[in-house]
Amino acid sequence: MSATVTLTIDGHEVTVPRGTTILEAAKTIGREVPHYCYHPGMSSPAMCRLCLVEVEGAPKPMPGCVTTVTDGQVVHTESEQAKSDRQGVLEFYLVNHPLDCPICDMSGECNLQDYVHEEGREHGRSREPKRIFGRDDFGGDVLFYGDRCVMCTRCVRFMSEVEQDHRLTVVERGNRSVIDTFFEEGLEGTNWAGNIVDICPVGALVSKDFLHKARAWDLDHTPSVCTSCSQGCNIDLHTRDNLVQRLKPRENLDVNGWWMCDEGRHNYEWINKGDRIEAPLVRDSGTAKAVGWKDALTGLLAAAGALDGAKIMAVASPLASNEDLGAFRGLVEALGGGDTVYRSARAESEVVLKGFPTLARRKDLAANVHGADLMGATRVGGDDANGGLDEIAGHSGVILVLGDALADQDESFGSDAALYVYVGTHMSEATGNAHYVLPVTTFAEQEGTFTNLDGRVQRFWPGVEAPGMARPAWFVLGAMVAEMTEGEGARSAADAFAQLAGSVQAFGGMSYDDLGTRGAVVNETVSLAGD
Amino acid sequence: MAYPYVSDKEVRILSTYFGDPKQRHLDTYVERGGYKGLEKALGMGADEVVDIVKDSGLRGRGGAGFPTGLKWSFMPKDSSRPHYLLCNADESEPGTFKDRELIRWDPHQLIEGCLIGAHAIRAQHVYIYCRGEFFETTQVLARALEDAYAKGYVGENILGTGHTIEVTVHAGAGAYICGEETGLMNSLEGKRGEPRVKPPFPAAVGAFGMPSTINNVETLCAIPHIVTNGGEWYRQYGTEKSPGTKLFCVSGHVNKPGNYELPLGFPLQELIDDVCGGMRDGNALKAVIPGGSSVPLINAEEVSRCTLDYEGCVEVGTMLGCASVIVMDETADIVKQVRRMVDFYAHESCGQCTPCREGSAWTAKIMRRIENGKGTEEDLDMLMDVTQKMVGTTICVLSDSVAAPVQSSIEKFRDEYLARIRRGERVGAA
Amino acid sequence: MSDVPFKNLGWAGNTGEFDLSEEEVRGDDFVGDRPAHGGHASGSATMPYMLAEKNPEATLFEGEYQERFEKILTRYPDKQAALLPTLSLAQELRGYVSPESMDRVAELLELSPAYVRGVTTFYTMYNKRPVGRHLVQVCTNISCNLCGADEVLDAFLKYTDTELGETSEDGGFTIIEAECLAGCGFPTCVQINSRYFENVTPTEVPKILEHLKSEGDS
Repeated sequence: MSATVTLTIDGHEVTVPRGTTILEAAKTIGREVPHYCYHPGMSSPAMCRLCLVEVEGAPKPMPGCVTTVTDGQVVHTESEQAKSDRQGVLEFYLVNHPLDCPICDMSGECNLQDYVHEEGREHGRSREPKRIFGRDDFGGDVLFYGDRCVMCTRCVRFMSEVEQDHRLTVVERGNRSVIDTFFEEGLEGTNWAGNIVDICPVGALVSKDFLHKARAWDLDHTPSVCTSCSQGCNIDLHTRDNLVQRLKPRENLDVNGWWMCDEGRHNYEWINKGDRIEAPLVRDSGTAKAVGWKDALTGLLAAAGALDGAKIMAVASPLASNEDLGAFRGLVEALGGGDTVYRSARAESEVVLKGFPTLARRKDLAANVHGADLMGATRVGGDDANGGLDEIAGHSGVILVLGDALADQDESFGSDAALYVYVGTHMSEATGNAHYVLPVTTFAEQEGTFTNLDGRVQRFWPGVEAPGMARPAWFVLGAMVAEMTEGEGARSAADAFAQLAGSVQAFGGMSYDDLGTRGAVVNETVSLAGD
Repeated sequence: MAYPYVSDKEVRILSTYFGDPKQRHLDTYVERGGYKGLEKALGMGADEVVDIVKDSGLRGRGGAGFPTGLKWSFMPKDSSRPHYLLCNADESEPGTFKDRELIRWDPHQLIEGCLIGAHAIRAQHVYIYCRGEFFETTQVLARALEDAYAKGYVGENILGTGHTIEVTVHAGAGAYICGEETGLMNSLEGKRGEPRVKPPFPAAVGAFGMPSTINNVETLCAIPHIVTNGGEWYRQYGTEKSPGTKLFCVSGHVNKPGNYELPLGFPLQELIDDVCGGMRDGNALKAVIPGGSSVPLINAEEVSRCTLDYEGCVEVGTMLGCASVIVMDETADIVKQVRRMVDFYAHESCGQCTPCREGSAWTAKIMRRIENGKGTEEDLDMLMDVTQKMVGTTICVLSDSVAAPVQSSIEKFRDEYLARIRRGERVGAA
Repeated sequence: MSDVPFKNLGWAGNTGEFDLSEEEVRGDDFVGDRPAHGGHASGSATMPYMLAEKNPEATLFEGEYQERFEKILTRYPDKQAALLPTLSLAQELRGYVSPESMDRVAELLELSPAYVRGVTTFYTMYNKRPVGRHLVQVCTNISCNLCGADEVLDAFLKYTDTELGETSEDGGFTIIEAECLAGCGFPTCVQINSRYFENVTPTEVPKILEHLKSEGDS
């Protein structure tokens, strides 16, 4: 028996591995058969009956999500019969549906709207009173609007098969069935329940955080990487009015499957935090003065040149991109070399997603701890990301800080430094003594890469505009280094990464084109001592 | 003797001892030749037993009419994994009351049939799934089983042959859908009794994920007789394609409702007029449902042409199903009865498949509206179309069962619907 | 129907050509007080009774009931399969399956409470709220309906002065409609707690109710 099967779908010949379902086979030719209950990450109950397709020779319509392909099979997903079956099923869905699109968050990204608009009847024929379930608070971030539910049970199966904490169930049977929790227990104490809002095909399960916040069609989607831990879940930033409105996971079977944890999902408000440093600042006899980039960098280069031989102590951030960290390292070297440290918060234990065990909320609570390590930075401080900077705080030579908010430090930090440069996004008590403050972008405002705990380098793109004169750190610092070494400053993030690939052997041979949207793993066998 | 009336037209094989309370006792059962079939079967190989049953042409008596010997032959021939035999005693089809009588009058017959069946499919454990409402019936069975265990007919080393077969009586908790074979398996496993998608079929993945076969009570009760007397013997009764006898459950407007064991192919008209003593009060026959509420109604003219075998019923546009004959005379209110049946299906739908979950409740609401005089003629066409969308589009056939009474009654008794719609008139009192 | 003084009406024993006593039909030598410890393990998973005396605070489980629970567990390959019999056992003691009962059963069988709730609510026979001493279930499905089941139901409601689905003032009776009870040859079929009553007509209803009140029967 050969390993592949050849069949015909809608007139196209398709060859797929034996055991593939009709639905998945159709995807390979770009045909997305409408469906609700099927999800590649969970079991297939074949109960929504929306994916019924016509198979020549079969006595009745077959559910595409569980029917495996056979040689010579002829499948029609768009025939009169198939469309009629689908229209029939869609009509049944609308018999009790409240059609409250005007007040439903799902509007604009709703499978029911889309399918019915595409293939449904113009008018539903039911004149009977609809059954009412009302709204139920499931606890956590999840609200349930029972009337909108299409009973696909994806949410029930996610909790029981993927999170493996069976918190949701179908209660009652027949037309009286509804999704519910065990009374008041709700979803308290779960870690991944936000995913059920993602996989709900309609607006039955909604996020409280996002409730009535923005319309789906107003949102822009930008591919990015979650920064809350070192797993590096692929995400999309959903933005409107230059603010991040919510985060959603992006599919990557090598990293996070289709999922992300609740902590990471809700950790986006900080990106929208205002009060940013919007211009380079120079401290001139006690007061900070805003200047243009050219003046700032020229002055900084002059000051650095005058301090030949001073000891350099640097603080980096595990939230900075590989490119930013690479340029920062380059700067330290160009100034004569020195030790770079970083601090990162760390949780006591991992929280593994049992049904997709390569995904976990990791202990290191920042996206680029691995990147910082690869650049030769040393970790200091406690699990709360505080401490470890005592020596630096009172250092009399050169202090360079990239990204670290210095939240635990006070106004004496850097008071004795000959040159203290702060490269970051917000002012604080501890930035008061900085001679130069350079405003840079967050990951959401720039292109770049992070390296996750497995060594996978993943790209992210900018979803919001940088405030004021803030620029990516790799650009600013790279320009300085280029001046000092008479080299070429990177003009794009791709260039910056290419430079990194040339100087740090772990990234050797990689390029943005290789990484694409799914990333690639670094060459782990090379130690930094070698480069 | 069948129960509670006897007719000399009957051929009593399974129902010989209906009405004889002594038959429950193990020693009486054995005295009368009981467990001889088991002894004979255990002395043969499993496949030999299957061949005898195949020869007999016995078809499943639960409603599907699938050849039993063939079903048994689907089981794997090795016993590297546990095999299970499941006896479907979740009798819930409206109009059906034969399994209850079989269990409460002749429990050992069923037990013997289960044991022989288990041997034939290489199963070590039999679960008899009885509906939860059968408290007393199940008690009779459980006590008989206790006696059988005590005397070595069940359990380890049966009758010294070295064979081990355990039997467990399991009670359901009130769900018609657990009479569907995969719904039964899910219920047995401690889940909601929702039917599963097939494939995989039970012989590959059944109860507890293991190869399983499920048979109706009446089917298994026939087995001891077939094994003892041979397949040819069984074929002397019935028709070529539907051999053997069947317990017909007759209810409704006849003078002598009850269970009658007759050879398959028996004419329906004769069953009503002769065996059941004719229509009560001499009323005219209006409609009959020959196979339980899930099959289409037939009118008086079709009744006169209908023979009670699997093929004969199909010829007049209905099905034999589980042979539960529901007889309606001129006083019957077709609209009300169809509404009641649709209410039943809406109540019992498991809710997985959208056409059934939504369609059964929707159909019930429309039927109620028509029954209350608020229907329209468009409703009739809509009912035909909506129920048609429920046929062949779901995991199990409960959805199709909603279509059967609705479509056949609108086709054949449209005037009653119209009377209701146009004049709010009710035809019939019951 | 004959006028033979009855213990429980409707054994259909003297319908037609039979003249059997109630004991003979029900099989009183087989059907009687079933031991709480469940008897032989092979039958331990059947629901023994719906008892008239219920204790919503009963321990799950102790004494003979614990013995039966353990026997039930031996008949299935895993604990989940024992769920239906265990819920039935809990209901026998407590009269209905409350959220606390679901939680306790979940604990005993190492299942999640939400899962147990899903299974419990699927099945009609698990009472979600307390019922009267006698749960009267009148079949109104087609075969009985054709033979006057609606009138029998109305009679029960009238003589207990109760609404459909509700419990009478004195807590004695809860009246509900049932789906086909498989007694179609003996219309109207009524199940009261564990017992089937057959061939019930409206005139027998008050007699049945009196009998139940006087015997305090299960």
